[in-house]
Order: sequence, then structure tokens, then C-alpha cells
Amino acid sequence: MDPETRGQGEMEDEERWQLSTVLRDSVLRLNPVRLISNPVMFVVELTFFIVAVMATFPGAFYPVAHASEQTFYAEVAFLLFLTVWFSTLSDALAEAQAGNTAKSLRKLESTVMAKKIVAGQKGKGGTAAETVVLTPSTELCKGDIVIIEKNDVVPTDAEVIEGIAMIDESLLTGESAAVRKASGDTLIGGSKVVSDVLKARITVNPEESFINQMIKLVESSKRPKTPNEQALTIMLIGLTAIFTIIVLSLLGLSIELGLGVDLSVLIALYVCLLPTTIGALLPAIGISGISRLYARKIVAKSGRAIETAGDVDTIMLDKTGTITVGNRRAVQFIPFEGHTERELAEASFLASWGDDTPEGRSIIDLAYQMGFLPHEVRSLSGLSYYEFSAVSRTSGTHMSEGSQSFHPKSGKILEQRGRPKRKFLDAEKPDLKIDDTDIIKGAPDAMKAGMNSIPAEFDSITNSVSSAGDTAIAVARNREALGIIRLKDVLKTGMRERINALKSMSIKPIMITGDHPVTAKSIAREVGIDDFVPQAKPEDKYRKVIEERDQHRIVAMIGDGSNDAPALAIADVGLAMNSGTAAAKEAANMVDLESDPSKIIDAVMVGKQLLMTRGAVTTFSIANDVAKYFAIVPVMFATIPALHALNILNLGVHTAVLSALIFNAIVIPLLIPLAMRGVSFRPASAMSLFLKNAVTYGIGGVFIPFAGIKLIDIALGLIIGR
Amino acid sequence: MIEGGFETVKLKEIALTGARLAILSALVCGLVFPVVITGIAQIAMPYQANGQIVYVNGKPIGSAIIAQSFTSPLFFHPRNNSASGVDPDITLNSAYSQVSRINVSTHIPVASLKAIISSNVMWTYWIAGTPYVSVLKLNMVLMEKYPQIYSAFVS
Amino acid sequence: MIGLIQSVVLVSVLSAGLLLARMLAPYIANVYSYESRGRQDRLFLPIETAIYRLCGIKQDRVMEWKEYFTAMIVLNGLMALISFIVLIFQNSLPLDPQGFPGVRWDLALNTAMSISSNTNLQHYAGENTLSYLSQMVAIQFLQFTSAATGLAVAIAVIRGFAGKARGKQGLGNFYVDFVRSLTRILLPLSFVAALVFVYLGVPQSLNGYTPVTTIQGAQQLIKIGPVASLVSIMQLGTNGGGYYGANSAYPFQNPSQASDLLEMILMLLIPTAMPFVYGEMLGKKSRKEGISILVAAYALFMVDLAIALYPSTAIGPGMEVRFGGFAPVFWTVTTTAVTTGSVNAALSALNPLVIVSAFMGMLIQATPGGIGVGLVYMLMYVLITVFIVGLMSGRTPEYLGMKIGVRDIKLAVFGFLIHPFIVLVPTFMAYATRATSAIGLGTGSISFTEVLYEFTSAAANNGSDFLGSAANTVFFNVSTAIVMWTGRFVPIAVMLAIAGSMYSRDRGPTNGAGLKTDSLTFALVLFATILIVVVLTFFPFLALGPLLEFLRGHVNGF
Repeated sequence: MDPETRGQGEMEDEERWQLSTVLRDSVLRLNPVRLISNPVMFVVELTFFIVAVMATFPGAFYPVAHASEQTFYAEVAFLLFLTVWFSTLSDALAEAQAGNTAKSLRKLESTVMAKKIVAGQKGKGGTAAETVVLTPSTELCKGDIVIIEKNDVVPTDAEVIEGIAMIDESLLTGESAAVRKASGDTLIGGSKVVSDVLKARITVNPEESFINQMIKLVESSKRPKTPNEQALTIMLIGLTAIFTIIVLSLLGLSIELGLGVDLSVLIALYVCLLPTTIGALLPAIGISGISRLYARKIVAKSGRAIETAGDVDTIMLDKTGTITVGNRRAVQFIPFEGHTERELAEASFLASWGDDTPEGRSIIDLAYQMGFLPHEVRSLSGLSYYEFSAVSRTSGTHMSEGSQSFHPKSGKILEQRGRPKRKFLDAEKPDLKIDDTDIIKGAPDAMKAGMNSIPAEFDSITNSVSSAGDTAIAVARNREALGIIRLKDVLKTGMRERINALKSMSIKPIMITGDHPVTAKSIAREVGIDDFVPQAKPEDKYRKVIEERDQHRIVAMIGDGSNDAPALAIADVGLAMNSGTAAAKEAANMVDLESDPSKIIDAVMVGKQLLMTRGAVTTFSIANDVAKYFAIVPVMFATIPALHALNILNLGVHTAVLSALIFNAIVIPLLIPLAMRGVSFRPASAMSLFLKNAVTYGIGGVFIPFAGIKLIDIALGLIIGR
Repeated sequence: MIEGGFETVKLKEIALTGARLAILSALVCGLVFPVVITGIAQIAMPYQANGQIVYVNGKPIGSAIIAQSFTSPLFFHPRNNSASGVDPDITLNSAYSQVSRINVSTHIPVASLKAIISSNVMWTYWIAGTPYVSVLKLNMVLMEKYPQIYSAFVS
Repeated sequence: MIGLIQSVVLVSVLSAGLLLARMLAPYIANVYSYESRGRQDRLFLPIETAIYRLCGIKQDRVMEWKEYFTAMIVLNGLMALISFIVLIFQNSLPLDPQGFPGVRWDLALNTAMSISSNTNLQHYAGENTLSYLSQMVAIQFLQFTSAATGLAVAIAVIRGFAGKARGKQGLGNFYVDFVRSLTRILLPLSFVAALVFVYLGVPQSLNGYTPVTTIQGAQQLIKIGPVASLVSIMQLGTNGGGYYGANSAYPFQNPSQASDLLEMILMLLIPTAMPFVYGEMLGKKSRKEGISILVAAYALFMVDLAIALYPSTAIGPGMEVRFGGFAPVFWTVTTTAVTTGSVNAALSALNPLVIVSAFMGMLIQATPGGIGVGLVYMLMYVLITVFIVGLMSGRTPEYLGMKIGVRDIKLAVFGFLIHPFIVLVPTFMAYATRATSAIGLGTGSISFTEVLYEFTSAAANNGSDFLGSAANTVFFNVSTAIVMWTGRFVPIAVMLAIAGSMYSRDRGPTNGAGLKTDSLTFALVLFATILIVVVLTFFPFLALGPLLEFLRGHVNGF
């Protein structure tokens, strides 16, 4: 099926699934036994029951409730019910969203029949034959060997041990192009083999795969509260306790002092003061954080990992693949005296013709883009090549006499590159005929040895290139040095901006690279990183993580290889690449399905946004209390006329309580989109983020309810006319 | 530095140390300190230390800063509702308002009474901004200036 | 509204307080330093060493928070016991020239627990109830030690917050901190202040009351005694328990405007110095943490003042002529802001808005609050504020580089909700048990204000009250005694527990990655949070009491 059509079908499915399920789920969640895990809403539900009884049996609570107010009690009870229901609705919505995530993940995990290879009993011929047994993927264990053929689904995470095949990982990554996997590569459960056959070793036990962990995370019943959620819940319980003391004291004093405060009004004040907004949205905020991360194709193994990502102080970034596109690229031809740029470029073109490395290709690309095509190319068939060897550290092309004429008018030449049957020559023993031409390129110091004469500027140009952090490649034709090619590390697009974003959030990026310090420094400076580890060995990464953690900094790192596993495991946030080894993925607490290392920054952003959303709604919720006091207290003591002066909003005596309750209830569904989407977030310093949110949700939280309650009161006045 | 967990310290030891420290502090803060201050004060500032006793004819008649009851119409009267109950002062306005009564009962000219008041005004320089006078002081000035009128009160 | 001269007085007193506090702070910080204290030691160390030897104090012993707290509570309990015994048996003890009888058990209990908890709620008029010995050994003694306890606790909490990087001595040793508070801070400062008070006209005598025959021939007792020595520590130590029932309205306790100013500055001094001490002890890099706390505290103090000074400050009944109408308002706001509780006018003489303001000071307890404990409360508010709003910076809330964890919040919130509990429940109980009507209190807003004030003052360890000796009943004596000790020692225990765990906690980089708690922004947020979470909570009750009186247009309704 075409991925797009499939996507649409899925969406329709989900919508249908959601509407009914969400509604039903939201009602089921009203069950007090289930609601007790959300103490604030549980208390609101209790008050609903009390007021409902008051509405049904108006005499039951005399003298704290009056029979004449039966309609009012019914209205209050209804609003209390709405408040609780809006809260369970937001839960249900977020769970449905997460459910979709879980569902799409589960699709990947769905049981498939795997072809497990078992050492057969002794065959008839007396030899131990291997037999294939069809086994459900859920019964596969670590170490089992399976065979995966064309159109088979990879049963669970595994490592290729034999064969090469094209794999479709689109379900996981959304990337439609198939990827090639060979021995040593990792297969993700749920991906599909589209060509050839593989033999693979299972790397996880059932239920251990990270997809399973993710499913566990999004299924709320198994999701433990994060430390931050726990602390916030305690804070909310504390606030609830304070307001309980206050309202009960008010009730007692109302009786003792003969104030005649109605119980339902007191309950309304109580519920309005309770942090219902954050109480109702707290679970949804947590769940939607997971969903938001997954929308970026990052799978987190725990909610805690997402929050920790928000706290990161240091991010370790591999230079290659994360900061730079991965390989150096030719950017300049620098001819020696007596040679032209064209001459050098064309020679470089030819020298790289047989070089299939990205660097080699970039030389050809550069020459082609500059319009320097070697017209003297006689024949493609007449070319033979010197392959790069660690000993010579050079490579090149050998052109012999009598080649066919070649007119490279179109870009086709580039596509043909590499195609001709190549004959590799021993670069150590060039077999030169008189008319033959040898074009060699390589590291300057290695090239120097084979030159007839070394131009005076050879060293100075070489040095200036490498001191700029670039790589110099010398090119020579028939032992005559022509010039230097400058190879440069190329930054990934937008990398500088992302590093700046990190720095603006006071996160220290550290670049890890195997490069020479000079090269490393140049790249680091270019991208804006102050701290880097040059000539890094795999164990240096681990050491650096320890070093940072010893300074009590929260460290995030990215890894894919098995040798990254220890560092991934001790880092506070370890993001493994999906393409990486099973060991790396096991050690990490997040996995990027798209295998894009720079997405660690996205994880940080999602973490921060999650924490900010939680803080913003909490602050908003508490700030709202100011207006609610002024709405309810004056009418609560209706028997004391002097207190009407506190009715600064000039609310109707009969509508004030309802208006406050309506505002209190309605603000929950109004903020559901905010809870699910997160507060708007652009990377900036903690203080400017804080200031922006404090103004919006703190100061806004004080004033918005004044306006909201007043508007509702006016509307109620018009509708009810009382 | 001696390391040691709380558990290793007997509550008894804490109580014993506490008892000794409690008694010692009670002695130092509760006895030695006030006695030393008393000693210095009695030697260096006996007038203030003993309550600024005012003498008339060698007999103590009261404290300069503690109100005493004046009910006779011949005298300036102190306030009867004040926080301490012994507020020695009255406001200037209150003093002036009593002038006519004293004038009627003593025949001391109004101008003289006003002059006595105004020459004894104490300004509330820093805080109140309301001028005031000490009742005892005014009355003693009256007794000094008009001994024949107040002879009955000088024993 | 106030005039120019009064504004100048206000600004000068506060500036003088701030300036003196700033000057005193490094000295205080140095007193508790475990490094060499140089010249200080040459003077005090020999005396202290003798005290340690006499009491069997191991001065090098490092106490973890439980031991620190236990040592503190046991010592305070024993000292309160001494006071209790002296009060009960004062008639059989020396220095009772007036021949006062022994104090009834419940009043003795209330008084011992009141003074030892730095509250100084007085259900008695000292000059008519207590012998000289009681004034000295039951009252003055505890005024010294409760102030020393407050200081010691604050220092222990600061050490915990500062962490192991700032000192290897844990939270310290309670006995050492307590003794040093007395020998190096409270006794020397009180010594100087007491002599100045004598000079200004405060009596200091152990001779009995002086009988005089007044001009009109009446018999009058001039009630002198060891007043100056008591007044100095009761103000310096934010105790507030006066020698006389009328407290600092009584001419002998506060003879002039000069003594009034000195008493004001004395009670502001150490509470204002504590945030500076905090900054000092946190270390150079974190010095501004103290400033933001001080800014928040003083901003709240200014709000209190603005509310109280909004009505007219003309002199009225119940005020002393020598102070006029402004000084009692300024004093009342100040005495509640630093939870001293001394008064220089009858509370019932004041405008209801002044009482609203007084309530605010007592509800917050940290503007800048009582000696030592004001800072401790402020740190509790800081933790709660950081936790509520800190998330908005996109990081897990942290203070001084430490993440605020579940246990911290559990403890802080517990300490936080104790206050409404011990204010409101006893207030209700007083009505429910008819203890109010027993002393002639009705159900009107005036009586309600008086009862609510009684328990708010007790819970906040303030000590000012409307009821005074009218509340000398078993119910009020016992209930306020319980409230005072709970309000004193539960929050202290909670903050010591938090500080204890913070001491050894790792600290992350404080490079501005999270919420900057040393910024003006944070000071403002702290200010707003305290107003909303602490003060507004009591809004309905204030609306039934002083606010209602104000709205009814009463100038002084009490």
C-alpha cells in the first residue's frame, strides 16, 4: 500500500475510534475508585456527591443548607460534575492520543511467525542438519537465529549475521526508501525485508524490546509517576489540605457566629480554590509529552527520561554525522605556481575517477560544478586505477594511450563514474609507458616522497590549509606536483542555529571527534562550540561523561556503536540511533527511529516544554484563586451587607457563585489543547522563558478569571434573568 | 572533628548536658546580666534607674514620667484613657482646653496659664508632630509660681 | 496617609535598620564560622570553653539534624521548666519585694511556653503579677535563650543550604551555636542597649516599688524594677514580652521618642541582618541570594505599611501622647513584621486596616520575621515558590543548584499547612467550647478579630494581643501554649530536616541554566506567591474580622 493512502485510512479509523472510546473512557474514569489517584479531582467528586444529596433531599443538611435553594443546589451539583468530567475527559483524550502511539507501535510488535533455525536432530545421512521451525515472535529469545526472507517482517530486534538485504523501515521512521543491511547491522522488529534473504540473531528477549518498553510507558496503568509529578501531586495534596482546613473552619465558624453561610456556597468556594485546573490536566500533560516526542520519531523508555532531557546541562555531540554531514568535501583547488586552477581541477577529477569514497566524489562534484571537465579524457575503458592503500596513502588513475574519444557534455559522466571495469594497479610499482599518464592524489607528506621536485610553496600552502582546520590533498601528474585540493568539513544545515539555541538555554555542547586538535578546533569554532574532545577514542566519550557528571551536570549523549553503550548507560539522557547496535539501544533511555543524532536537541526541547507546561498550568491554577475569592466571599456572607464592598466585580448576588464555578470548570477543556500541545516554546535562556511564562500564566492567571467570571456573570444574568 | 551518629548519643546525655546548660544560662542571663546592669545603672544613673522620682520639700511625690491623679479643678488633669493608664502627657490642645477651668477656680490670669503651657511644650520632633506637655510639670510650675493658691497641696 | 516628617522618620528608621544590619551581618556570620575567628576568639573563647567544660559539651561534635533538633528541644523544654517552677513558687523565692503570690499553674505553663517559644503572649500584667525574680529568671532568661535558639536554628539551616562545600561541620553543634549566640551577640548587644535605655529613662532597680504620696495626697506606687535589662533583650531578641502589662506604651518601658526609635531599630536589627548573613555564609558567588530574600521580605513589609498607613494616623484614645498617632501604627506594623509583639499603644486604639496589616505580618512571619526563624520561614517559602513557578523556566525546579525533590516538598508543604491549622482550628474551638463567651466575647466581628488575633499571634510566635489578662483562663492558657510550641518547633523541625538532607546533596552548576533565585524577578515572584498563597488564604477570615470593621467605617473598632 502506498504510505500516504495508508496514513489517511489510519486517521479516519482513529477518529471514529476516538470519539466513542474517549467519551466512554471519560465516563468510566469517573469511578471514584479510579479517581482516587488524582486526589484533587477525587475531592471535587466527593463534594459533588454532597451537593447532589442536598439537591435531592433539601432538608437533609439543614441548617447549613436551605430547602428553598434546591434549584441552585442542582445547578452547583451539575457544575461540580462538569468539573470532574472535564478532567476525566482530558485524561481520556490524552490517553487516546497515547493509545494511537501505542497502537502504531504495537503494529510493529504484532506477533509474526518467525523462521527459527534449530540445530536439527541427526538426519538420515547422519549429519546434523539445520531445520527451520515456525515460531511466534513472542517466543523468540535472545540469541535465537532466524532466517528472514523477502516480504518477511523482522520478528523482533535482531542483528544480521549473514547476508545482505534491503529493509523497509518506513513503519518506524516514515522514511520510504529501503535501507541496505548487511552483517553486523541491526534490524528493528516490525521492519520488512523487501529483497534478498538474511540470517539474523535475536538480540532481545520478548517484552524487552524498546518498542515494548514504549508501549508500557504510554499505557497509563503501567506508567509510574515521574519524581516531578510525584512532588507536584504532593504539593497539590498540600494545597487541598490547606483549603480543606479553611473551608471546614469557615463552616464551623459560620455556625458558631451565626453567619448563615450556605454549605453549597462554601463547597463552591472550596472547589474554586482547589487547584482543579492543574489537578485535572496533570496526567494529560505527562502523557502528551510522550506523544509529542514520538511525533518526532523519538521513543523514550520512561517519562522520567523526557523530564531529565529538559534538565540537561551538557550535550555530547559527535562531530561526524551530527555536526558535520559526515565527510569532508572538496571546496577549493589551489594550484602551485606554473599550473592553472583548471589544470589542477581536471587532474583532480581524473585522479578521483576511481575513488568511490565521499571525499573522492566531492572532488569530482566540485570540478564539475566549476566547469572544469577534463577534455583530454580519452577513454573510460582505457583507465585503470591505483587503489588507496594504508601504506602508500595515495590513490590515483592511470591513463594509457589509445583511448576512445569521450565528450563529457552532460552530467551523465557522473553517473557513469565507477562503472567502468576497473583494473587496479599496484601503486607502489607504477608501470608507466611513455604516452601513459599517471595522476595521483594523496596526503601531502606521503605525496612528497614520490615527486620529481617539490615546489617552493608546497609546504606553505599545505600548512595554511591544515592550520585552518581543513584537509590538504596534494595532486600530481607524472610525479609533478600540480597543487593542493582543500577538503573541508561541512556543517549540517541549521547546525549553527541549533548550537546557538542550546547555548541560549545554557546547555553546554561538547564536540567529540577523532580529528586532529587543529581541525577539531576549527570546526568547533565554526559551529560555535567552545568545548571539544579531539582525537577521541571511544573510551574518551565515557570519560568525558563521567567528568561532566562529577561536576553534577546533567549529561545527554548520543551513540550508536556497541562501544558507546557504557557511556550511554551512565549518561542521564542517552539517545541511541535506531540504526545502532542492540547494546547501544539497550543502554540508552531513548531511541531515535530516524537515526538522526542531532535530534537529541528535539528531545531536550520536548522535555523543557513538558516541564514548562506543567509549571504554567500550576501557576495559572493558583493565580486564579485571587479572582475567585473576590467573586465568592462577598456573596458567601450575604448576611453581612458591609462585605458587599468586596464585590469589586459587581457580580449578581445569585449568579456570582455559579459564574465562578462555570469559569473554574470551563477553563479545563479550554486548556486541554495547551496541555496536549505544550506551551509555545522557542529556545531561550531559562530566565527569559520563565519571565514570558510568568507574565502569561502568572499575571494572566490573576487577571483572566476576573474578566472571565465577569463575562459569564453578565451572560448568566441575561439568560436566567435573575 | 568527632563523627558519630545520633543513635550513639544517649538521650540521657542530651538531657544531662541540657540541664546543666539550662541552669547555667538561667544564672547568666537571668541573674548575672540584670544584676550587673543594675549595679552599673544604680551607680552611674541613679535618677533614671530609680524611676525619676520627683521630690517636693524633700518628699517623693511621684515619678516625672508616670501620670498621677489630678482631680482638683485647680490643676491640669491628665488623660484618663490612655494605653498605659499612666500617660504623663497631654496634647497642647488638651492643655489649652483646661485653661478656662483653672482660671475660674484659681483666678490665675488666662495669659499666665497660656504662657506656662507654651514655655513647657515638648515637641514631638521625630514622630508625632503633635506638641504636648507634661501634666505633672505644668502643675508643679503652677505650685511654684502660685504657692498661696496651692498651699493646701504642699505638705 | 502620612506627612513629610513621618515619611522621613519612616525612611530613616528603615534605612538605619538596614545599614546597621548590613554592618552587623559579617560579624554574625563570623561568629558561627568554623574557621578562625581571630580577635573575637581571644575575648570570648576562654569564657565559652569554661561553659563547655561546666556543661559537658563536646564542642567538636558534629550533629546531624535529628540530634541538633533533639538537643534544642530538650534544652528549651528544660529551660521552660525552670521558668515554670520559678513562676509557680515565686512567693517562696527571693526577690519578691511586692509579695506577689505564686502564679497559677495554667498561667505559669502558658507564660513559660510563651516566652520560651519567642512568642511572649502575655496573659498577665507583669507589674502586678510577677516578682523581680520571675521577671529576671522566668522571663528575661527565656527571652535570651529563645532568641539564641532562633539564631542557632537559622545558622544550622543556612549551613545545610550552603552545603558541604562551604564547611565540613554539617549543620554544626547546637550547644556551640546556642552559647555563641548568647556570648557573642545577644549579651553584648543587650548590655549596651540596656545601659542606653537606663540613660533614656528606663528604670533598673532591684529595690521594691517606690511608694509616694502624690500632690493631691493619694498613695501611688512607682513600679520600678529590672526593666532596662529586660527591654533590651525583649526587643533585640524579637520577644516582645514587656515588663508591664501595657508593654512599650508604659512610660517606664518606653519613656521617650528616642527610646521608641531605639526599640524599633533593635527589633528590626537581627531579622534584617539574617538575609545578609545567609548570603555571607553561602559564599561570594551566592551572596545575592540573601538580597533577593531581603527584597521580597521588605517589599511585603512595605505593603503592610502602605495598608496600615492608608487611614489617618491622628492621635486617639489608647495611644500615648508622647508618641502621637503615627508611631503606634509604624510600631504595630513593625512588631508584627518581625513577630516581636511588643506594643506601644493599645491594639484596640488602631484603625482596623492597621490590624489587617498586623495580621499579614503574623501570617507571613518572614517580613523579615522573628530572630532567626524569619529567615527559616522565608527559605520555606522560597522552596515552595521555586517549586510552583520554577518549572516555567523549563527545568526541574532547583534551588542553589539542588533539585527540589519529593521529600523536600513533602516537608515544606507540611510545615506550611501547620500554620492555618493551628490558627483556625483553635479559633473555632474557642467558640465551640464557649471559652469565648466565658470571658465576655460575643460573635461580632470585633470579638472575632480578637480571638482570631489571639491564635494568629500565638501561632506566629508574635505575642501581641487584644485579650491580655482577659484571656487568663484555663482554655486560653492551655490552647495558646500548645499553639505556640507547635507553631515554633514544628516548622523548625521541618526546615532542619530539609537542611540536613541538603547539606550533603550534590549541587549542579548555577550558571543560570535554571531560574535565577538571586534576581529581582525572583524576589517579585516570591513576593507575589507569598501574597497569594499565604495571605489570601486567610482572606475570608480577615473579611469577617478587621476588614469588615474597616468596611463598616470604624476608625478604631476594637
